[in-house]
Amino acid sequence: MEIKSALLLLPNSSLPFTTSSGPLFSVHRRHLNPPEAQKLLPLPATKLNSWPVDHNGGGYVSSSLQMGRSLKHQLSISPGPSVFSPMALGSDTSVDTDDMFDDLFKKYGKVVFRSSDQKSATADIDDDAESLSFAVAAAKVASEVKAGDIRVLFVKPLVYWTRFFIIATAFSRPQIDAIGTKIRDMAEKQFGRVAAGDSKPNSWTLLDFGDVVVHIFLPPQRAFYNLEEFYGNATLIELPFES
Amino acid sequence: MIQPQTHLNVADNSGARELMCIRIIGASNRRYAHIGDVIIAVIKEAVPNMPLERSEVVRAVVVRTCKELKRDNGMIIRYDDNAAVVIDQERNPKGTRIFGAIARELRQLHFTKIVSLAPEVL
Repeated sequence: MEIKSALLLLPNSSLPFTTSSGPLFSVHRRHLNPPEAQKLLPLPATKLNSWPVDHNGGGYVSSSLQMGRSLKHQLSISPGPSVFSPMALGSDTSVDTDDMFDDLFKKYGKVVFRSSDQKSATADIDDDAESLSFAVAAAKVASEVKAGDIRVLFVKPLVYWTRFFIIATAFSRPQIDAIGTKIRDMAEKQFGRVAAGDSKPNSWTLLDFGDVVVHIFLPPQRAFYNLEEFYGNATLIELPFES
Repeated sequence: MIQPQTHLNVADNSGARELMCIRIIGASNRRYAHIGDVIIAVIKEAVPNMPLERSEVVRAVVVRTCKELKRDNGMIIRYDDNAAVVIDQERNPKGTRIFGAIARELRQLHFTKIVSLAPEVL
C-alpha cells in the first residue's frame, strides 16, 4: 500500500487523487516502477511513524498531500539515488537495527573496510599494459618455436589472481621443453621475471609469472582439460604476428 | 587435520566420490595433512562407469579442511567439509573441473593447475 500511495504522490501525476485506484495504479506504473518508487522515498523516520495506514480515514488526503510536497521538495534537492533501504519502510523504526545500519551506511558509504594497498586506476592500467606486452612477447616466442594454436586470454575480469592466460599446444615433450625454456629465458632477460610452476616438461606444463600464466599442452590434454571453454567469457587478445 | 583413516569428499569430476587417507606425503611419520598437502588415499566410493574405481589407491591434494587455515593477515578460513582433488604422479589433476571454493595457498604450493580449474578462489 505504501508503494501505491507513493505513486499517487508523484510530482508528475496529473490525475486527481483517489483511493479506488486499480486502473490508476497501472497508469502510473508506466512512469515509475515500484522499486524506483521505493528508492524515491527518502522520508525521515518521524514521518514514517505518522504514515497513514487507514485508507478510508478522512485525514489521508491531507496528510498525503503534505507528504507529496515534502517528496517534491526532496526530489528537487537531491536528484541522485537515495540510500534509504526499502526494507525499512514497513518495519517498526524505533526498534529495528536495520535503520541504524542505514544511517551508518548513509554517513560512511557501503564500503566499511578497504585495505591500504589499493592501487590507483592509472597504476592498474600501467600494470595491465606491461603484462600485455609481456604476454604478447611470450606468445611470440612460443610461435617462434612452432607452438600451435596460441591463444592469449585477458582473464582479469574473471579471476582476481592473474591477468593473462597464454594457452598453446606443443606436439611433443621436447618441444614443450623448448617452449618453456625459451619463454623462461626471454622473461628473465627482457622483463626480469622468474617463473614458478613446472620445471620438467609435463603433458600440461604451466609457467606462472604472477600476472601472466602460460599453459603448454600436448594435443590430447588440451582437448581433455578444455581451458578455453572454461574461460569462454575472457577476451581474446589479437596477436600481431598471426595476421 | 587429515590423518590416516580420515574420509574426504572429492572436489573434482574424476569419478571418485569419497576417499580415505592412508598416508601423508612429506616427512616420515608425519601426523596431519593440511590444505595443499599431498596424501595417498584409497577410493571408498566411486561414480559408476568412470575410469577411477572403488578400492583404487590414488594420490590427492587436500583443498578444503574443517580445521581452520590461518593467514598472516589474521584471516581465518574454515570449510564445512574435508575435500581433496585426485592428482597423478606429475601433479596433474585427474578430473577436468574442480568444484567449490579453494584457497589461494594452493597457488603458492605450485598447484596452479588446480587453481586455474577452480570456479572460486578465496
